[in-house]
Amino acid sequence: MSLYTYSLLSIVGINIMLAVSLNMITGFCGQFSLGHGAFYGAGAYAAALCAVAGYPVPVALIAGAVVAGILGFVVGFASVRLREDFLAVTTIGVSFLFVGFVRKQHWLGAEMGISKIPGSGLGAEGNAVMILLFAAATIAFSLYLNRSWLGFAFRAVGDDEQAARTVAIPASSYKLLAFALGTAIAGLAGGLYTYFTQFIVPDSFGFILSVTLMAMVVIGGTGSTWGVVAATIILTLLPEVFRFINDYRLLIFGGLLVLVTRFAPGGLAGIVNSLTRRLRRA
Amino acid sequence: MDPDPVYYVDLTLNGLIFGAMYALMAIGLTLVYGLLRILHIAHAAVYAFGAFITVIVANATGSIALGIVVAIVASALLGPAIYRLLYEPLLKHPPYVAMIASMGLLIFMEDGFRILFGEQGLTFTRNPYPTEIHQLFGVTINTVQIAMIVLSVVCLTALALFTTRTRVGVAWRATVSNPTIATSFGVDAIKVRYLNFMIGSALAALAGALIALLNNFVEPSMGFVVSYKALAIIVLGGLGSMRGTLIASLALGLVESFGTILVGSYLDRDALAFLFLIIVLMVRPQGLTGARA
Amino acid sequence: MTNVLQVESVSIRFGGVQALTDVNFSVGKGEIVGLIGPNGAGKTTLLRIIAGVLAPDTGRVMLDGQNVTRLPTAARIAKGLAITHQIVRPFRSMTVLENTALAAGHKITANPLTAIFHWRRAAENSRAAAILAKVGLGGMEDRAVSALPLGHLKRLEVARALAVDPSVIILDEPLAGLNHREAEQQADTLAALNAEGLTTVLIEHNLREVMRVCKRLLVLDGGRIIADGAPAEVMADKAVREAYIGKADDHAAA
Repeated sequence: MSLYTYSLLSIVGINIMLAVSLNMITGFCGQFSLGHGAFYGAGAYAAALCAVAGYPVPVALIAGAVVAGILGFVVGFASVRLREDFLAVTTIGVSFLFVGFVRKQHWLGAEMGISKIPGSGLGAEGNAVMILLFAAATIAFSLYLNRSWLGFAFRAVGDDEQAARTVAIPASSYKLLAFALGTAIAGLAGGLYTYFTQFIVPDSFGFILSVTLMAMVVIGGTGSTWGVVAATIILTLLPEVFRFINDYRLLIFGGLLVLVTRFAPGGLAGIVNSLTRRLRRA
Repeated sequence: MDPDPVYYVDLTLNGLIFGAMYALMAIGLTLVYGLLRILHIAHAAVYAFGAFITVIVANATGSIALGIVVAIVASALLGPAIYRLLYEPLLKHPPYVAMIASMGLLIFMEDGFRILFGEQGLTFTRNPYPTEIHQLFGVTINTVQIAMIVLSVVCLTALALFTTRTRVGVAWRATVSNPTIATSFGVDAIKVRYLNFMIGSALAALAGALIALLNNFVEPSMGFVVSYKALAIIVLGGLGSMRGTLIASLALGLVESFGTILVGSYLDRDALAFLFLIIVLMVRPQGLTGARA
Repeated sequence: MTNVLQVESVSIRFGGVQALTDVNFSVGKGEIVGLIGPNGAGKTTLLRIIAGVLAPDTGRVMLDGQNVTRLPTAARIAKGLAITHQIVRPFRSMTVLENTALAAGHKITANPLTAIFHWRRAAENSRAAAILAKVGLGGMEDRAVSALPLGHLKRLEVARALAVDPSVIILDEPLAGLNHREAEQQADTLAALNAEGLTTVLIEHNLREVMRVCKRLLVLDGGRIIADGAPAEVMADKAVREAYIGKADDHAAA
């Protein structure tokens, strides 16, 4: 396989980790987050600093996950204190704040970012395999989560927080955990991205990315792991396969978001479900 | 730092002018949120739309005034159209669905502007106003800034008088803060919705036109950051309160103006707004002026 | 008789309005008590304080002898309180069985870090099915809640509350919106559950059913308890009659 194919696979794997982990927060637990890119970025920067300082790959990856998870836990407190629409705006703020902060930090390379990050030593092929393994593990974890009592209770919190409390579910703890878990996975993805590109700049983790991830979740079907995975693969590869699409990428994402919410709020998963139901009846 | 007191007057004036522009933008969001509980992110696309129309018409006819009028009218039609085609069918879903659709529409329209008018945006072929400098009470100010102050004061005062002095206005304001009141006032709730989108969009277009004049150019992504600042403002203002929105707009304008000078080396201007937002929300989850729990 | 629920000198003000003034009462093990009062008497506020949604300005709430005034709702439920909502609040994305089974797994879900390591639901499902049969929802297990009529949703509220293994259940207008026959059935179910030993507090406007099933009545008016005793005595009380008839006059005038 060519280098290009490996890099494509790596990007798909990273996007799957990001979208599936966002789906844990938004789809499973019902907490709207438009700042997922910031946690990804926090993980990438943490891993980059570790890598530059000479720590081995596993340490850097864990550092990325832990830093992002702690940040997510803190932002999760906003979800405990604020109503739904306030939370959406606050997470947008987190997104802008992250980029705005990093851009001005000289120890983080400011606008020029961090370059000359040591490689993982696995080569392009090894990196792609590592990323895909982590992506597969993320999908497996997400599927397990949805079947576990944690996922069961997440659904209750997403449906009706107050009602969840009346069946002894401490909704606030669940929301915090959803944020911590989802953002830790995003941070891990950030670490993998660092080793993949060996060069990071603040603008890669901005608001457009957060919105794109939300688009993948919504278009795939909020709450459906497989739907989100399918949407992520399609939306990541489409602009690569059809080069002309790349110029109109945001136009298409925006248009798809409008069309899906307007005509198929269940996303891809919803469409597939209603089709199979219709087929069974026929 | 410059010790000259005029410098601080300048900063204050600049902050208030930007605050006034934020207010023109954010009033529309407040009107929509109050009535429909939708965060109308695409409002910023209307703002950018207004700016583009102003430049295009002004360049085609040679009259900036005509450009502004056409932009306001066109936007006042676009806003209600967005409601009718996008939001109305989504009202039966939870509010975040409409918000995502709105975000999609913003991205779609902004990228549309980019494709239609180019990455670089457009400039006025003839716009002398930003460079017409006046000395007022020792402060330097240009014609566009004066227009910004005068027009925003006129519009916001007119809106305030309308909503406090006229029967229709009082009913309208009551409807915005509590939609169930509409029927008891004998107000047609559907008409109020269209009215909200019309007035809000017209004000956003005015803000867009004035910002375009000030910068002497419009770019496709000009609404992006402003849109989220406007969201931050209506949250700060306590969501659904016009008075709160106005106070929060001016406060944000001032915080940005002074903050850029004081902490600009640690944070950029756009991040500052959200730091302000997050700090305020952590202390007062109901917003700056909101009283609701 | 041991007290399962005790409300001690509870008062609360909202802005300038004294919503509850020095409310005192206790509910003994196995009792079935009706809490009645005209609209605006403070019943909902009192329930919200007992549930932990609101904190009282003064006074305490005791569950099984423990002071729970400072505990959040979920912790109170874990200590044996169960409440139902006047306006039904089922988990909309779940089936009838799932709604109840989730509540039946309350020991697992009390801590999210425990919940993450559990996935089997068989035990909770069968317990949920047994509870559903008891409240008259047998055979409805796999229905989506969005397809249920109000009468069934009201029963689901009760089923979900029972599934948390309560020592006391407080029902907020479980008969509201039901027709005559449905209300009678629901009240019979509640009486039967009480007969099995479940301590019950019934907040209700349907006086006919309250008088029929409750052995004791508490009357709240203007934020105070104005009567507490056997139903027949309470209803003969002058203050109670005034509270209700006064309201009736207001309605006639309006």
